[in-house]
Parts: sequence; C-alpha cells; structure tokens
Amino acid sequence: MKRHKTVYEAAIDHGFSRRDFLKMCTALAATLGLEFTQSDEVVKAMETKTRVPVVWLQFQDCTGCSESFIRSSQPKTESVLLEMISLEYSEVLSAPSGHQAEAAMKQVLKDYKGKYVLAVEGSIPDDDAFLSVGGISAKETFKEMAAGAMAIVAYGSCSSWGGIAAAHPNPTGAKPVTSFVKDTPIILVPGCPPIAEVMTGVIAHIITFGKLPELDQFGRPKAFYRHRIHDKCNRRAYFDAGLFVESFDDEGAKQGYCLYKVGCKGPTTYNSCAEMRWNGGVSYPIQSGNPCIGCSEKDFWDNGPFFTRRAKIPGTQTTMNPDAVGMAVVGLATAGVAVHAAGTVVKRKLDDKRGDEE
Amino acid sequence: MGAPKLPTQPPGTLPKPTVLNSESSYHPEEPIKYTTMENDVKAYVWELPIRIYHWVNAVCIVILMLTGIYIGKPFAGAGIPEEAYYSNLMGWTRYIHFFTAFVFTASFIYRMYWCFMGNKFSKFNPLRWVFWKDTWETIKFYLFLPNKKPHFVGHNPLAYLSYWIFNYLGSLIVILTGFYMYFEPQKETVWAKMFAWVPYIFGDSYLSRSWHHWTAWAFMLFIVLHVYLAFRDDYLERCGSISSMFTGYKTEPKKAVGEKKHK
Repeated sequence: MKRHKTVYEAAIDHGFSRRDFLKMCTALAATLGLEFTQSDEVVKAMETKTRVPVVWLQFQDCTGCSESFIRSSQPKTESVLLEMISLEYSEVLSAPSGHQAEAAMKQVLKDYKGKYVLAVEGSIPDDDAFLSVGGISAKETFKEMAAGAMAIVAYGSCSSWGGIAAAHPNPTGAKPVTSFVKDTPIILVPGCPPIAEVMTGVIAHIITFGKLPELDQFGRPKAFYRHRIHDKCNRRAYFDAGLFVESFDDEGAKQGYCLYKVGCKGPTTYNSCAEMRWNGGVSYPIQSGNPCIGCSEKDFWDNGPFFTRRAKIPGTQTTMNPDAVGMAVVGLATAGVAVHAAGTVVKRKLDDKRGDEE
Repeated sequence: MGAPKLPTQPPGTLPKPTVLNSESSYHPEEPIKYTTMENDVKAYVWELPIRIYHWVNAVCIVILMLTGIYIGKPFAGAGIPEEAYYSNLMGWTRYIHFFTAFVFTASFIYRMYWCFMGNKFSKFNPLRWVFWKDTWETIKFYLFLPNKKPHFVGHNPLAYLSYWIFNYLGSLIVILTGFYMYFEPQKETVWAKMFAWVPYIFGDSYLSRSWHHWTAWAFMLFIVLHVYLAFRDDYLERCGSISSMFTGYKTEPKKAVGEKKHK
C-alpha cells in the first residue's frame, strides 16, 4: 500500500475534526518557535504535504531517546507517528522483526531515495565487532542509509557527540554519526535523552518547511539550543542574590535556592529544559531540586562528578578542583621561594666573605 | 618646580658595555642613557606608560582574582537569607569582575601598543641567538650554578619570557575565554559573534571555563615568582628594582659602571 495521503487527510481519517487539526497546527507553530501569524504556513504545509517517510536506526544506545520520543505531548506522539511521518523502520515500534524488517528498510531506500528522513539514535563503533545487525556492520548500514536520506536527525548525545559509549576509555571506538557522513545535511539533537517536544518539533519543522531548521555553529537547531539553562533558570534570582544550596538536606534546598554549589552544570549547558520543561511542561531537573548534569553537552560523561564544581584539564578527561590545585601550587611556590631566598642570602654572605678575604 | 636638570654626561663614570649581551646588542641605535643623581648613576628604564600599565594591571589582577574565586566557588552567602529580592551579592561580584575585566583588557591593549612605541626595555626579540644564550645563563644564575650571566639594566631574558608566557599569553587566554563566557547569554549579538570562534580553540563552554580558572591560578603563581625575584634582584644588585617601578629609574651598581669596589 502506497501512502500518498497528506497530513491533513491522515488526520481526518483518524477521526480528528478540522478544528482539532487547526489546533494541532497552531500548537505546532508555537513549538517550532514561530510567530502566531505564521501558523497559516504550518496549516498550508500540513494540508498539502504528504507524510514524510522516516527510518529510525539504533546503534550503541539505550533506547532512552525512543522512550522520550513516545512521551511527546505537543505535538502528540500519536499524531506525529500516525499523521505527520510514516515510520518505515524502527526497532522499538515496528511489529515485524528479522529479515522482514530489514527488507522494509531496503525498500525505503528504493522507493523514497532522497526523500526520507534518517533518525539515528546511538553512537557508531569504529570497530565493527562491537555492533552488527543481521550480519551487516552498523557503519555500513548507516553509510548506506545516510547516502539516500534527505536529512539525518541525530537524536541524543550518543549520536550527536559519542555519548556514554565514547566516554573514556571508549573501548568500542564509538564516534558520533557526524564522523561517518559528509554530503547529507545533519541536525544534532543532543540530550540524554533529548526533550520529547524538541524531538518531534525538529521532525515537524522538516515536514513543514521541507528543509532543516536554522542551526547553530555546532549543528544544533537554534530554536531549541540557543539558550543556556542558567540564563533561563527558574532559580536564577537566587544565584544573583548569592543564596545557595550547600547540601541537599539544608534549609536552602527546602527554600529552592540556587544549586550552583552542588554542582549544577546549568551555566555550561545549552538546552531548552528551563523553557519547555519535561513531561508536557510539568517540571525539569533543576525545578525538581536536582542540579543540571549537563547531559546535552559534548563529552558530558567525562566532565567530572555531577554534584561537584570542577575544572577540566584541557586535553584530558581529568577534572580537578581548580582552587585547591591553585592554592597548592601557590603554596609550594611560596615554600620554594622561601628556600631559594635563604639560599640567596647565604650565598651572598659567603661571596662577600670571600671578597673580603681576597 | 620643573624637572630637575640632570647632567646627561656625567664625567668619567659612564659605563661602556664591553660585553655584547642580548640587551646591549638590542636596538644599538638606542643606547642606554645614564644620569648621575646625587651619588648614584641611574638609567631611565621604565617609561611612565609602562609604569601606569604595571600598576593598573596589578590592581586589576587582584580584584579579578578575588571576585573570580567568589564567582567560581561562592564562599559566602547573602547576608539576608530570605527571598532573592533582598540581596544581589553574586550580581555585584560579577558586575565588579566584568567592569575590572574591561579595564584589564584595555590595559592589555595599551601595553601591546607600547611594545611598538616604547623604549628598548619594553620589548624583546626572541629570534636572536644571544637572547636564548643569556636566558640559559640566567637560569643557571637562579639555580646557584656557575654562570656567565651578564649584567642587565632592564629585565633579564628569562623575565621577558615569563611576562610573555604568564602575563601576555595568560591575559590573552583569560580575555578571550572571559569575553566568550560574558556574551554567552546573547549569542546573536555582534559582540558574541566576535568571540564565536573561541570554542574552536578552547573547547566548549565548560572547557573555556576551565581554561579561565587554570590561567587565573597561573597568574597567582606568576605573582609569587615575580614579586620574589624583583626583591631578590634589588637585594643582590642594589639596583632599586622595586622603586624603579614607581620612579622609572634603576640604579646602576658601581661595579656595572666601572667603579672599583671600595671598602
């Protein structure tokens, strides 16, 4: 069965009214960061565009990104899955398995070359021995599917940066998908996992406008990754005031003070958690009292402990307390200086004596 | 009262550098001018702009370090542990840090300008072989080893190197990473775009911060060594290196100007 229905037709077929459809489009426009006046464009796109075929590949991952994806509230996951995209291959959600499923993937490459979106979850190992599906290495499958894709969406920190598998010492030689593709446009949606609405929002943007959203210098969509958590944090006022949680059981923690001193990575993390929040806008880690662990940043597993502020030694995965190290170095230098000064005085006295004797 | 009329050609005691070292052979068209003041022979070494830079820079570093440590690890909480409304401790600390950072940056640019416009003591040329030869002799001198370190009127070569590595390169690192972080909340502005390339050299936001922290502590290490060696120089050579950073004049030891040691 060929699917040539537009998104609008698919929605009507699934029992939605036109009013529901328009609501969905307006909400979608808001999620994409568009102005209200632009929601017309979204409606028009949804009325005329057919559903976009999507192939969802999983490599060295934990399926956490898929889990996050199926919890999207706006646009609703079912409306994305049933109306906006046509999910041709997914290891989590598809009914068939084995050769039947692999054949479906090959069929997409044949039928929709240059038209489908390739979603990738998980890093790809350099060493094929660590990941092969159906006897074909992850690298090979990815390269084949990437070459025919309209765009690649790298879901999660693993596919975007390498993630946990690439953390030191990286036994599998895990690499982000960007290391294996050159010509296909690629969009990074980092996070461990990414926010569900961001995941669906990116797909929705591609469907609506037929191209990738505006990306920042690291390849992330600006609409969702332009702000630091710290700058949008609901606890920011406590930071500026100098009111900090010292430990998780103190009065400050009860009062909702800033989590900076218990290791919050908000000041170095770009994501929209503080604006969009999680589970349909209910809360996000900092609001719930846990410091941000910086999961959407590159190499976050190697950025030191979650609940301590540290500085990283460039070129290594070692993190240290810069003030303790600095104080120690300055202390040692001062001690050395004292010894050297004593030596200088002694040497001068000796030299003077020798000079006198001459 | 105007400037004291100083004899520019004191009779007899003018030093003639017999040994060519990295200092005396550098900019030979600009010989060191000696003057006698009271009973000493002095040389004008640090020009006024350099002295101004030195003290502005020193004050900036102290303020930046104190506020910087607080920003990195707030060691004190707000006085009124109530709602955020009542205090702005971190806010003010950051404000002072940023304000001082702009002064620090301005002083750095000012100093770089004087690398071109200043006298021969305000610059150095590491491409000359004799510079490295003298550096090696200076290292031996500091390690109490037998050495042939010549007498320098200005800095010794090792000192020049330490300023370039700790102070100027260090300044560049903290300025670049600092401004990158400063403009992080306004990524779309022209100012932020001027520093958008910084993460390609120093790594992401977290690594830029780390560079900033480590370099700040390198400055502290530098201060310990710099202050100690300045006092040591004054003690050994009796050249007035401490007061020279106020007056600009360094006293030349009698030895250096050819006088015999007297009891």
